[in-house]
Amino acid sequence: MPTGTLQVKAISGHSGTVPGAGVQRAEEICKYIDVTTCIGCKACEVACVEWNDMPFQQTTFDNTYQTMPSTAWNYWNLIKFNEHQREDGTLQWLMRKDQCMHCEDPGCLRACPADGAIVQYTNGIVDFQQENCIGCQYCVSGCPFDIPKFNSTTKKVYKCTLCSDRVGQGLEPACIKACPTGCLKFGTKADMRGLAEARARQLREHSGFVHAGVYDPPSVGGTHVIYVLHDITKPELYGGLPANPQIPVTYTAWKRVAKPIALLLSLFAAPVAFFHYISQGPKEPQPQPPGQEVPR
Amino acid sequence: MTNGWIDIKNTDLMLIMGGNPAENHPCGFKWPIEAKLHRNAKIIVVDPRFTRTAANADLFLQIRAGADIAFLGGLINYAIQNNRIARDYLVNYTNAAFIIKEGFKLPEDGLYSGFDPSTHEYDKSTWNYEAAGSSGRGNAPAALPPNVAYDVTLAHSRSVFQLLKQHYSRYTPEMVERITGIARDQFLKAADLFTSVRKDGDMKKVATIIYAVGWTQHSFGTQIIRTAAMLQLLLGNVGRAGGGVNALRGHSNIQGATDMAGVFDILPGYLKMPAPDDVDFATYLKRTTPTASKPAEWDSYNYWSNTPKFAVSFLKALYGEAARKENDWAFHYLPKIDRKYSWVEIWDDMYNGHVRGMFAFGMNGVQVGPNSKKNIEALKKADWLVVGEIYPDETSEFWRAPGTTPDEMKKIQTTVYRLPCAGFAEKDGTFVNSARWLQWKNIAITPPGDAKLDQEILSLIFLKIRELYQKEGGKFPDPIVNLAWNYTDPLHRSFVELAKEINGRALADIADPTGQTIRSGQQLPGFAALKDDGTTLCGNWLYSGSWTEAGAMTQRRGTEDPSGLGIYPNWAWSWPANRRVMYNRASCDPSGKPWDPERRQVWWNESGRWVGNDVPDFKVDSPPKDHMGPFIMNPEGIGRLFGPLAAFQDGPFPEYYEPIESPIANPLHPAQSINPVVQTFKTPLDKYGTPSQGFNVVCTTYRLTEHYHYWTKNNPMNVELVPEPFVEVPVELADEMGVKGGERVKVSSARGSYIAKAMVTRRIKPMQIDGRKTYQIGIPIHWGYRGIAEDAGRTELTSANLLSPTAIDPNAYTPEFKGFLVKIEKA
Amino acid sequence: MSTAVERFDDGARARFGAHGRTFVRENELLRHPVYSRVLHWSVAAFFILALLSGLAIYTPWLYRVLTPLFGGGPMTRLLHPWFSLGFVAFFALQLLNWLQPMSWTPDDTRWMRRLKEYVANTDKLEPEYVDFFNAGQKLYFWAIVGSSVIFFISGVPMWFPRAFGRTTAAIGYVFHDLAALVMLVGFIVHIYEGTAAQPGTFHSMTRGTVEKRWAWTHHPAWYLHATGRQPQDDYEAAVRRQAGRSAEGGTPSMPG
Repeated sequence: MPTGTLQVKAISGHSGTVPGAGVQRAEEICKYIDVTTCIGCKACEVACVEWNDMPFQQTTFDNTYQTMPSTAWNYWNLIKFNEHQREDGTLQWLMRKDQCMHCEDPGCLRACPADGAIVQYTNGIVDFQQENCIGCQYCVSGCPFDIPKFNSTTKKVYKCTLCSDRVGQGLEPACIKACPTGCLKFGTKADMRGLAEARARQLREHSGFVHAGVYDPPSVGGTHVIYVLHDITKPELYGGLPANPQIPVTYTAWKRVAKPIALLLSLFAAPVAFFHYISQGPKEPQPQPPGQEVPR
Repeated sequence: MTNGWIDIKNTDLMLIMGGNPAENHPCGFKWPIEAKLHRNAKIIVVDPRFTRTAANADLFLQIRAGADIAFLGGLINYAIQNNRIARDYLVNYTNAAFIIKEGFKLPEDGLYSGFDPSTHEYDKSTWNYEAAGSSGRGNAPAALPPNVAYDVTLAHSRSVFQLLKQHYSRYTPEMVERITGIARDQFLKAADLFTSVRKDGDMKKVATIIYAVGWTQHSFGTQIIRTAAMLQLLLGNVGRAGGGVNALRGHSNIQGATDMAGVFDILPGYLKMPAPDDVDFATYLKRTTPTASKPAEWDSYNYWSNTPKFAVSFLKALYGEAARKENDWAFHYLPKIDRKYSWVEIWDDMYNGHVRGMFAFGMNGVQVGPNSKKNIEALKKADWLVVGEIYPDETSEFWRAPGTTPDEMKKIQTTVYRLPCAGFAEKDGTFVNSARWLQWKNIAITPPGDAKLDQEILSLIFLKIRELYQKEGGKFPDPIVNLAWNYTDPLHRSFVELAKEINGRALADIADPTGQTIRSGQQLPGFAALKDDGTTLCGNWLYSGSWTEAGAMTQRRGTEDPSGLGIYPNWAWSWPANRRVMYNRASCDPSGKPWDPERRQVWWNESGRWVGNDVPDFKVDSPPKDHMGPFIMNPEGIGRLFGPLAAFQDGPFPEYYEPIESPIANPLHPAQSINPVVQTFKTPLDKYGTPSQGFNVVCTTYRLTEHYHYWTKNNPMNVELVPEPFVEVPVELADEMGVKGGERVKVSSARGSYIAKAMVTRRIKPMQIDGRKTYQIGIPIHWGYRGIAEDAGRTELTSANLLSPTAIDPNAYTPEFKGFLVKIEKA
Repeated sequence: MSTAVERFDDGARARFGAHGRTFVRENELLRHPVYSRVLHWSVAAFFILALLSGLAIYTPWLYRVLTPLFGGGPMTRLLHPWFSLGFVAFFALQLLNWLQPMSWTPDDTRWMRRLKEYVANTDKLEPEYVDFFNAGQKLYFWAIVGSSVIFFISGVPMWFPRAFGRTTAAIGYVFHDLAALVMLVGFIVHIYEGTAAQPGTFHSMTRGTVEKRWAWTHHPAWYLHATGRQPQDDYEAAVRRQAGRSAEGGTPSMPG
């Protein structure tokens, strides 16, 4: 089990090196979610609300068992319910626990301009530090999983912390502790990945789900929350899980590379003007008092 | 449960039907999943709706609510026709080989022999075994013969097996399809899968059947469960790890309530309630203590032969010094029941003016229903109502039920006393779970405000009443005045003292069965030590062993599991005698060797005793050659495929009957469509609908995982999860009505109507029932007219049980909450 | 544009004129009335605030330097769109105010063709067709208009990303940056042109007036319209007067 204190690995909006990075490396952690044995009981939802002391909110009936349409600033863990009619006429009722995926390459962190508002720990947890959050919500557009949510009262963005407070003390996240069926597990990335692969193989070989697989998308460097899906070729069925989650180029090529260069180029106008002045001189109202032009 | 929650992990196959454990028992559902993950076990779910349990199934079949016996009967037929039965088990451990009296008639026309149309009851004398050596004719007394005629070849035409085969041969796949709405090929797929555990005579594999109130809440509920039990006997799945017939109890302590006599016709430990004919204790014991009934060459433990020990010890616990041999152990203090006093009858009596007041503790009678309107009207006629609850509920506010005008309210004369009670976390004590475990829990927080523990309130009332009787006398003060109340603090009796009393203690120095002396005043080690001479007291013999001299077994938390079978012998304590799988002798072949050497529960040891990982549910020194039956609680010692004599009110084999309100006439026998001995009621509010009146949609009711009955609408977290009532409606029906998801619909039965938003779903599909397109809808029961959202005016204020009918199962008196008729329209 | 716009502008100019005043000396012309000047500096103030608060969020290297100016990161973020709205609002008024003089003419196209000569300071005087604004100024003006539109269209989704969706915000983000860069370059050039590069120009936006000399040098056509006199004639007269005075050793008098 990953224990010990949390070691910061990356910080959003921060110039220069990350303080303390690489000083000590803990093992990478991972949340394992076996969608194929989830019973949609919402114990994880309740545990999340309770552990994080979230205020209750009023919901409305929306023709579904799903608690609300999407996660909220005060509701970080939501099981998405989807009825899926398969080609053979049989029905599937897919239930996927939606929460922050804790990407190895986090789009939110990439997008965030605020110094220290988002940190990534060496164990893989991506955590928002609300005292540094400026409420710009770039993370909202940077996240391919629609996870960060803005609170218009506090003007801050919130999301699942993977219970960094618990994990930092060697405990499992609250949702994991609450899960009655064991479809949620927690451990090192390597262990969870192994478990997931084994479960997917079992589904392929014994349950007739020939496309069963593990969702750990490489396009975001892998995630520290992984899913076992009945059909890895159609992740969208599970409440819109993206097949190929992408961090917008905005926050990669543009933000990282092009933006600073473009800014420097723009500021180049100032020295140009200055050299124009000293070389060409001003346009004085004419006629000017007589003088002598010297060739220097 | 014959087995237990954890034991489900040992199974190879689960039939989950009449229950929705993923939603209503989510913590227990980890064990079906363990079986899936570690044994590649398969799950078959048969339900009126595609539930969250179905979402985890390998095979889901949508059944018409109430058609379960047809489906299970079809499985029995399939198993017999395809020889997927456990023959050795059947011959030796069931009454398959027993021969039935001549004159017994199967119900081809819907009626067994002995039906009296004037009383709507059966004369059950022909429902009996043939006595060995008799001609089979003649009117023997209505008792089981001590010496039963039998035929181990199972070929005798009147053998139970042949009758069973003949009876269920009518349950063909085609008939199953007509009744249940399950397509023939789907049924055959399920039948093949379920019976595959006995493919080619293999006895290693085990299948379990898991059910809940989806089976009990029918006008033939007991018989559904019996069909399942018979199927399991037929396949040799009872008594075995990963097998059994497993009832999932719907409340944390409903098993405890049942064990401690939550029903009117039993005393604690399932002792029978005295009847008016029991003129003295001896008569009572004679009536209630069975004698062995078996083939001469076989043996039967007949454990209920110990009834006198259990009964005397119980009376000693109840009346203490006042219960003496000379006064028949104060047997005459006990009430004698002259008729049924079940739930629905109590409300009927109140409605009819016979019951003038009610104590309502730990239940919300108006909401629980059925036919809530009748319960509300009944309360209006009562003189007083005392409600002990943690919230103001619909029952204590029956006078403001929707539709009650201010004028009507003024006319209601019922005095309502509301007593704030402690919640489950505000007191210590035990819960008895579905697996029969008694688990001690500690108080978490003290009750708020003026709230008191239930036992404190009851003590206050009792002591006050006793005082009155002591002062003023009365018609019959003895049972009250002499009730044993020897507690350290009579007003605040501790649960420790009560638990110890229930376990029982010696009242004199006695010898236990192993010869050790138990000193007077010591806790009893178990029910084997009970005596019928007044030297022991015991509140419930089944719980004897739960609090011994060694301390509270219920508080044990040992996590050792040496066998790996999930037995955990040192975790809490399960009745009876801490054995985890009942009838576990049946996990071995007749010679005493486990059917599956990899799942060894108990076995016959060469040293001459039954030993094992679990506590043997057997006479430990009875050698296999004596052929003692494993089902020691039956006088026959074997499992009953045929329920003889008065075991059941409506037939020795379960027969399929339509629900009280059904969209079709029973295809098996249209002239006798419903259960002939079902009980209905006759007040103006007891109305029953028919398709011709426009009630042609089948409706079922259920709970959601997000809510707990009628409590959690007072908890903001649960209200957030599911905020308001809804009706689950098939897409096709919604289209016909022109209703979209979220729009209001009105559901009406002959008794009342219910308004809520529609949840339009593909999880309920239209069905072909007897060739006719039939819709089913479903209503979760959790809302009423008192709760967070209700008080804020955010929800409709109708209770689901305004719709359900007052019709009860003749065996268990459970109302038919599932599968009644309604009509539905846009509201 | 419509007369309604003109009536609005005239009214605004009159109202602002009533509260402020511009002192025009003998040798001066009124170039920017109070209304134009208030608008300009309002636009400028909001622009600079928006620019600085924007740059703070633009890159981590500026974040720590610039956010303290506004009371920290959250306040910077909170204020930036409001600064921008202020900028857009005042600039919209300026747009109405200057719609007519800023409209593009064939003369401006001609002017653009000799931009090289303008930059190289080849000619002493601007071509006779250069009116109230030259093509360079118009270009900057319309660049601001374009950028403002882009700022607004891209900024609102960045402000409320939940309402517009993640892709819109992400794309908007790039356009917002690009517009800002265009503005930044324009701004630098504008400051240079308005101060060091053209003496007298800054005064026109502070006190509202320019010397006639300035007018005929930089905006001959406007000089013609404003005075009814030929800029070339007056320029040459001034040159002659100066030559004479220079010979006399006196100081140049104000041109009439």
